Amino acid sequence: MNRNNIFIHLALALVLIFVAAFAGQLSRWRKQWKPHIIPATEKKRPTTTDEIALSETRSFGSPEVLVKFKSGVSQETIEQVTARFHDRIEDRIENAEGWEAIDDLDNADAATVVNEYLQLAEVEYAEPNFEIKLPDEVEGPLVPVLPRDPQFSDQWALANSGQKGGKEGADISATLAWSITTGSDKVVVAVLDSGVDYTHEDLAQNMWVRPANMDPYRDNELGTIDDLNGYNAIDSTADPMDENGHGTHCAGIIGAEGENNVGIAGVNWKVQIMPLKFMNAGGFGTTKDAIEAINYVIDRKKAGVNVRIISASWGSTQKSRALEAVIRKAYENGILFVAAAGNASTNNDRSPHFPSSYNVPNVISVAALERHDQLASFSNYGEKSVAIAAPGVEILSTWLDNQYEEKSGTSMATPVVAGVAALILAEHPNMSVDDLRKKLLASSDPIIALKGKIATAGRINAAKALE
Amino acid sequence: MPISKDTAVENARNDLAKRLKIDAADVKEKSVEDSDFPDMALGAAEDDEMSGQMITRGWRIQFEAEGKTFEYRADKNQVRAYKFKGRNYRI
Repeated sequence: MNRNNIFIHLALALVLIFVAAFAGQLSRWRKQWKPHIIPATEKKRPTTTDEIALSETRSFGSPEVLVKFKSGVSQETIEQVTARFHDRIEDRIENAEGWEAIDDLDNADAATVVNEYLQLAEVEYAEPNFEIKLPDEVEGPLVPVLPRDPQFSDQWALANSGQKGGKEGADISATLAWSITTGSDKVVVAVLDSGVDYTHEDLAQNMWVRPANMDPYRDNELGTIDDLNGYNAIDSTADPMDENGHGTHCAGIIGAEGENNVGIAGVNWKVQIMPLKFMNAGGFGTTKDAIEAINYVIDRKKAGVNVRIISASWGSTQKSRALEAVIRKAYENGILFVAAAGNASTNNDRSPHFPSSYNVPNVISVAALERHDQLASFSNYGEKSVAIAAPGVEILSTWLDNQYEEKSGTSMATPVVAGVAALILAEHPNMSVDDLRKKLLASSDPIIALKGKIATAGRINAAKALE
Repeated sequence: MPISKDTAVENARNDLAKRLKIDAADVKEKSVEDSDFPDMALGAAEDDEMSGQMITRGWRIQFEAEGKTFEYRADKNQVRAYKFKGRNYRI
């Protein structure tokens, strides 16, 4: 090889290196680029309050959804599908054949994009690409925290390992949430129900007691009631002892003491449960007594009790303007109202169930899921009127006489959501009721079976709620 | 004091006889079945009544009288007439 040939080869090699480097940089720029203009041909996007709330959780700068296409679907088809949705394939996921990380270019929320893909025959599964991180800038993966409560392994709602043939992971991610917080005894949750067995071994430490420096409850008609342990609206007395078991069960779901080597763990290991009794030993009560109990909660809030949540695992098809008005009054006082969607297997959009169907900003209507992530056969639903779903079938919780029982109903799903709300308030004590509601609804895992059934089409996720 | 199944059936029979103004002996028991009801009012809430939304085990009791079928629902806590002339009654 002569000297001229060597220079020619060296020059060619340098040109090739520059071309390769420039192409690589172009590729990186392409991946980083996002248009800021929403095209005129925008897809139909959510309009309900709940759906809008979901959209606020979108994390920018990372792919929004992970989509698994069915085997045999060509890359060309995948590209056509994403182009049709005005989406972009961000990446193929290594070691996960068929999975694509897809970025939406229309600023849509992840849940909506997931639902679009789930409708396609070519798609096997789709899920949001959520970022999970510790609060206060603490980065790193969450590590599950398991309580040493002997019956915790039966609490599939909190940690579904596939026990009793259930679907692994079909739970509220409580163990991840607990790596952030296990609750706070500064948060008070009112359990408006058949009362609570406040002496139960797994509840006694988490029961609200009126502070010594707070005046007893005074009612214009009833006079003074020494509400040391809560309130009984049936008899207008100070004793909210449960004679049925339903209220005690709901209370245990929210806040059975965790890590105490006894029984079960609540969604909150630490919390204050304010027991209110308006349903009798049979498990039913009157609208008037429900109103009276809610008025009590509002009064105590005004007196300084940090009661921010009412858990209402009850209802009927009878609409009451008076009940609606007092729930609105609770909203005006910063109190969230979590309500059971009902157990008639009916559509609440057509046949409302109250109080869950009241159009008041603090109301969250809750449907029930079973351990395979299917809507419970009994659960009411409603794409407009039912907000979110939570486990509500074969739920183990506290019962009368220091017992524990498995029960089913939207009654059981409701305190799960109320409990997650309490966890959020443990981390963000000053969060407004509006933001609390939005946060809860934005913290769901999309569930295929819920699409078209409830507003968020999702199961509450406690870990996401604490992001 | 929990109500037994037999007591529930007997209470229901007497209630139906009273409502129809007939002799209890003329109320024929058609069936008594264990059943899951949608709520703690056994799916038979009275007006202005709220109930816990928990699936509740009880008994579905059917009678025949005056050529018609009448349904009662009961559990250990209560007995209810279901849609008697369009309305529910807790007895």
